[in-house]
Parts: sequence; C-alpha cells; structure tokens
Amino acid sequence: MKKFIIRRLLSFIPVLLGVVTISFMLIRLLPGDPAALMLAKSGASAEQVAALRAELGLDQPLLTQYLQYLGDVVRGDLGVSIWERRPVLTMIAEQLPSTLELAVAALLISIVVGTTLGILSAVYRDSWIDRLSVIVAVLGVSMPMFWSGLLLVLLFGATLRWLPVIGQGSIKHLILPAATMGFACVGTITRTVRSSMVEILQAEYITTARAKGLSSTLVLFRHGMPNALIPVITLVGLQFGWLLGGSVVIETVFSRKGLGDLLVQAILWKDLPVVQGGVLVTAVMYLVINLVIDLLYGILDPRIHYN
Amino acid sequence: MARRSGIRNVSALLLCALLAACAAPTPQVVTVQETVVVTTEKVVEVEKVVQQTVEVPLAPAAAPKGGRLVMGTDKFPSGLDPHVNSSWDVMRILVSVYDPLLWQDPETGEILPGLAESWEISNDGLHYTLRLRKDVSFHDGTPFNAEAAKFSLDRILAPETQSQYAKAFLGPTDSIDAVDEYTLRINLKTPSAYLLSGLSQTYVAMVSPAAVEKWGSEYQLHQVGTGPFIMKEYVPKDHVTLTRNEKYSWAPSIFEHQGPAYLEEIEWHFLPEEATRLPALETGDVQLVISLPPIDATRLTTLADFSLLTSRLRVTQPLEFFINTQKPPTDDIRVRQALNYATDQQSILNSVLRGLYLPAHGPLAGTTFEYSDQVEGMYPYDVEKAKALLDDAGWKAGSDGMRFKDGQPLKLLMSSQTWNFIPPIAQTLQGQLRQVGIDVEVEQMTFPAQMTAGAEGTKNVLVNGGNGFTAADALDGYFGSWSADGGFAWSKMKDPDLDKLLVEGAQTLDPEKRKAIYAEAQVRIMEQALIIPIYDYTILVGVNNKVMGLSWDISNVAPLAYDAYIAAD
Repeated sequence: MKKFIIRRLLSFIPVLLGVVTISFMLIRLLPGDPAALMLAKSGASAEQVAALRAELGLDQPLLTQYLQYLGDVVRGDLGVSIWERRPVLTMIAEQLPSTLELAVAALLISIVVGTTLGILSAVYRDSWIDRLSVIVAVLGVSMPMFWSGLLLVLLFGATLRWLPVIGQGSIKHLILPAATMGFACVGTITRTVRSSMVEILQAEYITTARAKGLSSTLVLFRHGMPNALIPVITLVGLQFGWLLGGSVVIETVFSRKGLGDLLVQAILWKDLPVVQGGVLVTAVMYLVINLVIDLLYGILDPRIHYN
Repeated sequence: MARRSGIRNVSALLLCALLAACAAPTPQVVTVQETVVVTTEKVVEVEKVVQQTVEVPLAPAAAPKGGRLVMGTDKFPSGLDPHVNSSWDVMRILVSVYDPLLWQDPETGEILPGLAESWEISNDGLHYTLRLRKDVSFHDGTPFNAEAAKFSLDRILAPETQSQYAKAFLGPTDSIDAVDEYTLRINLKTPSAYLLSGLSQTYVAMVSPAAVEKWGSEYQLHQVGTGPFIMKEYVPKDHVTLTRNEKYSWAPSIFEHQGPAYLEEIEWHFLPEEATRLPALETGDVQLVISLPPIDATRLTTLADFSLLTSRLRVTQPLEFFINTQKPPTDDIRVRQALNYATDQQSILNSVLRGLYLPAHGPLAGTTFEYSDQVEGMYPYDVEKAKALLDDAGWKAGSDGMRFKDGQPLKLLMSSQTWNFIPPIAQTLQGQLRQVGIDVEVEQMTFPAQMTAGAEGTKNVLVNGGNGFTAADALDGYFGSWSADGGFAWSKMKDPDLDKLLVEGAQTLDPEKRKAIYAEAQVRIMEQALIIPIYDYTILVGVNNKVMGLSWDISNVAPLAYDAYIAAD
C-alpha cells in the first residue's frame, strides 16, 4: 500500500512537468500581446507597448523565460499576476475554497439524488419512476447550466423571493448554484447506479440472500447498494474535474468568486502567470483526487489489493 | 415608456431629482427648491447648458439621512489598484475612497479645487504649481501633504508600477517636485491641454505612502485614501465594503453638503452575467445595478419601485468600426466611403439597442468638449450613393447583386467581439452591406486575437470603442501614425496632416483654438472614411427608488455616493 502510494506520487512528477510545459507553450501560442492588451485602454503607442513588454520580461527569448519559470515553480513560486501584480499563489488560494465548496455541494446533491433515483428505477424497472429518472437524466445532461441556472434565478429569486440570486457566504447563497450544477451531474449518476444495480440484483449472492429469507429491504441496502456504489466512486473522480471546469459558468451566473472565472479571465487577457499557475494547481488537484479514489477502491472493494 | 426619447439626454442628476419627486409618498413632506443643471436635447448644434428649477421633496427634516447602499457593477475587475489597473470599476468603487487633486464639474467640465486649493500654469505651459489643502489626512492618520502627493504621482510614473492607465493621464509629465510642505510642482516635457483633467481622474489617486509601504503587493486589498469612505474589506471577485469616514471635512464644491457622508456603508458586488442584474435588483440583493441589457431596461420601466437611468457616458470614443486603409479592397477610399453610406445606423440602434442609444457621427462622442458637428450629415444612409461609389471604383454588380472586379468578389473580412452588443451589430451591418453587394465575412475573435489582427492588418474592418475621457484619448492612439504599426490605429493611415493636427490639439491650452484644430481632425478622419461610427456609449442603470441624492461624476461612469442616502420606509 505504502509502496503503491509512493510510486503514484513519483509518477506525478513527469505528469506535472508535462502540464507546466504545455500550459506555458499553449498560452503563448494564442494570438495577442499581453503588454499591448494591458495598455489597450490608454491607446498607447507602439513604443510604450514595447517598454512595458520589456518591463514584464516578455522580450526575453522563450527558452530563457521557460527555464526561469521552471526554476521558480520548483521553488514553489508561481510568479506574480501581470494584471493584478499580486502573487499567483495568493490569488488562487483566495478563490479555491469557493470553487471547492461549490463542487462538493454539487457532488453531494448529485450523489444523493442520483443514487436514490438510480436504485429506485432499478428496483421498480419500467415503472413511472424509472421513466421519470430517464427524463431527469436527459434534462440534466442536455440543459446548459447557464440556462438552467437563470431559470432557477428567475423562479426562486425574482418570482418567489425565497433565495438570494447573487453572492455567497451562507447556505442560502449556495443552494441555487449547487443545485444547478448538481442537477447537471444527476443524470450520469442515476443511469450508472441503475445499470449496475440491475446487474447486481440478478447476481447469485442476491438470490442467496433472498433464499436465506432476508427482507428485501435488507438485501437491497446490505448486499446490493455497497456493490452498486463502486462505479459511482469512479464517476465522482471524473466529475470532480468536470465540476472544477464547469464552475466558471455558475460563478458567472451567480456572481460567485472562484477559480473558474479567475482562469478564464486570465486566458482571455493573457495573464500568463495566472494561467500557468491555475492549470498547475488544477492538475495537482485532479491527480490527488484520482489517487484518493484508487485508494478508496482498495478499502471498499475487498477484491482489489495494491501490492 | 413614453418618456424614452426625452430621457436620453437628460443628465442622471435630473433623473434622480425627478424620481425623488415621483417617489415622495407621504403627504407631510417639506418641499425645498433645488437648482439642477440640465443638459438639453441636442438638435443640430453642440449641446447647450441651461438652468432649470425642479421641486424636490425631501424627507421630513427630523429623519436623519443614512443607510447602507448596495450596488452592483458589471464584471469582476482584474485588479483594483488605481495606479496600476484600468477597469472602470476603479472609478466606480474608488471614487468614494480617494479625493483627486482637482475635481471636474460634472455638468460643465470646469476644473475645480480638490485636494489642491489653487494652481498656476507657467507661461510656457511646462510647469504646474499646485497649492494643497492643509487640513487633510489619510484614513490611517498619515497627513496629506506635498510629499504624499509626490509619492503618489511618482508611484504612477515608476516603470515598475507597470501602470496600465493612470500614467496616460499624466501625459508628458517629466518630474514632480515637493516645493514645500503644501506646494507641489509638476514639470512637463511638452505642454498638455489635458493635465488638469487628468489630475481629476480617480486613477491618479492620492494614496497613503505609509499604507503602500506596509502592504506592498497586497495594497489593493487595503487601500487608504482621503475620501469620504474608507475601504473596510475587499474580497476579490466577491465584494468591496466601504464605511463612512467620520473625519471627512474637505468635500469639494460639487456636492450639496459638508462633513461626513450620509451613508454609513457602501457595498459593491460584481454581476458579470447580465441576465441576473435585473433579478438582483428586484430581489433587493442590490439597490443599484449598472449595465442592464436593453431588453431588461424596457421591463424595468414597468416596475413601480425602480427607475431606469439612461446615462449618456462622457467617454470620448464611440463604438466604431476601424477600416483598414492598407488591405484591399478597403485601401480604396471609395469603398470605405461606400461602407459609411451603406450603414443604416438608426436601424441598428433601433433593433439591437431598442432606441436607447444615440448614434455617433465621427471619431469623438457627441459629449466631448471638442466634438464638431461638421461630421454630422457627412454620410447619410444612402444606398444609391454607396452603389454609385462602388460602381465608380470598378466593382460591378453581378446577376445576384453581389459585386465583382476582374473576376474577384468584393469581400471584406470583419472581426467581431463578444462584448457589449457587438455580435448582433456586426451581423446587422453584414446584412446591410450585402444590400449594396458587399460580401462580409464576420469572424468572432477574442480581443487579444483582434488586437494582433489589427496590428498586423489581416482584417478589413475591426471594432473598438469606449476608451478615453478627452479628445486626445480617443484620437492620438487610434489615428496617429505612431500607432499604425503595432498600436491601436487599426485604420493604419499614415497621414502627416492628421498627425500634425493631433499633436497640436493635445498641446493647445486655449479651448477655442483647440476646438478648431480638433474639428479639422475629425473632418479629416471622416473624409478619409477611416471608421464607421456606430453609437455613443450609454449605460442603462437600474436603481431602487429609495436611493436618494446620488449623483454622477463628469464621465457618468461612476456614481458619487457622498450626498446619497436611503429613504426611510
């Protein structure tokens, strides 16, 4: 187990080196000169733009810039935002908790609703509840979040006045954005739980349990559910990454702070250090979450061993 | 909305007063006479300013004015250091935190004392001596004096500050001297018509040297000025909270009262999604929201508790499409002029902007002091004239109406942006140009990509707008030949005559002479058809009727909360 973890952690190094290199190159491949962008509002002359470019160190050869950046990253220094002139790490640390809060809340909602619907539609196959879950799944997956988010704003905010529509800081502020995001994930989880549950309910150990005379509730919860939930863990790992990426839409609609908007704005306005730092931090999170999920398999599924 | 057409030009100030009048609910109100300056509807001539008297009912005198004002602006600012960053949110939020050295009268543009009580300009126009107030201190107790003012201006000029905007307002400033404790001298390299108005900008903020030294790169989260409100908290991408400065006793004459502000607290939120702005106002999450989409603005006028302010911004650059003079076929002046004749501005404004915006006629907005009405009527909507010009240029219409020359179709590459209302405007324009046989290929680009396209000249038509507060701001960098290769002069015209006018204009202190020079420049730009002007910037603001006494700065970009208060229930 320990060896497995160490091996996995070591494998992070080449992955992260790749991430750093690719993000460094990609953002520079996009058209647009950061110095000119920064001076766009003052209609600066070509000469003034060149002076700022030199001040930012962007007139240096690419390789020099890359090696400099690599050296800084190894020392844990992600640089300074060229727009805000604040340390990138501070800016990310400021925004990350809000995005994590939203992602976790959305995941919780989607897991609770998704597994409940999934199990019900497996148990009562082809009933109205099964059909309802298909509708929910299709709507959730196909409705764009900015649209479903706006519908919720109009219904619960503008019309019913139950919930605040912008900002954050309380559970009340979290409900609408988390529900919007959670709803988008419910479909996948419902369908996955349903199909694995259908399979499990036909497994021999379920028949055995029933033959022993156990109540159907007990069979379902003690023998069926734990096994049906294993694929959900895999999904959670995948969706967490999706939620981090999708958070930008929700953050914009609900005026929430967060990493998504920080990164999108940084890409749009070519704030190179913020893009690089943000991509790196997101990659680290993704790697760690996938490691945790792999470890969870070992704990939850006795058939899996890491030796 | 019956008042729509009338409302357009009326200043936000008058609207506030009118709204206050409409909203007065109780029978026992004390009525006072208040003089309000109103900008009249512009007909043909330059705007005139008239005095008009409006009755403004006030709340009973016994009720103390106060309250907490929550406002929403239109995006998450990327950086809020006034010396560094360029977002309009710097003005909107920080105008309450900092006092400028000088103020501009919001109606007339007259330069008024601020932290500087008086000023003298040397005969050669190169040295400005400012006498500072002696009774001012920063929020952290640091006294305000010439050293502090020099510190602030030096900070803006220092290359390591990487100032994106503030530096531009100091123009040709060479050095700053603190002559004595309360005398500041600014030395210029060349004369500047705009230094005084530059010093009135919030971007040229007087910051506490002690606070800048204490906080370093985190200063923008802990800003310290001398203004009527103190920055209490700034959580990036979430909110800014300002509290009243109880010691404030140096309000400029543009305000109605003296002493501390009425509001106890101001809170700003950022609402990047335009569709949530009206709901946020309706639910009471905010009491004022900036940049409503036109469709919601129309709905707002049906709601009893709220009002719509149609703020005609005094930013000097209209929304305009630059026409590349170096890339065929727009290197032909006849094609460029045809584009202008074929553009039906009014139908764009009516369909996309619901008639809430005013048309632009040249490279300067109609609100600019140096605006010349000579450009009006240079390009009336005239399809036949456009067709004739294209025929003359050798572009003949084929059987489907599309034009060809030597087997080549008349095709233009246009760049479009996602901001403002540009996508529908670009599409409408595309359709209109098709009417005269021009095939326009519109490409939706990111702003950085468009900047590269503009600098490299790979597109025929590129959109820009909304920059600057003076004539020079909107002309120099956008039409001077020094910006044609690698800057923002996307028409890429290198015209020595125009250059000369631009340089002269920016250095001419005599207002009437300057006006004449810039009038020539504007006509020159339109004769050469370097742009297709679309509209003058307007911002639709939704406000709760309980907000009283709010006024706006000269640009109409930033709300001034000093006299504002929340009406009691």
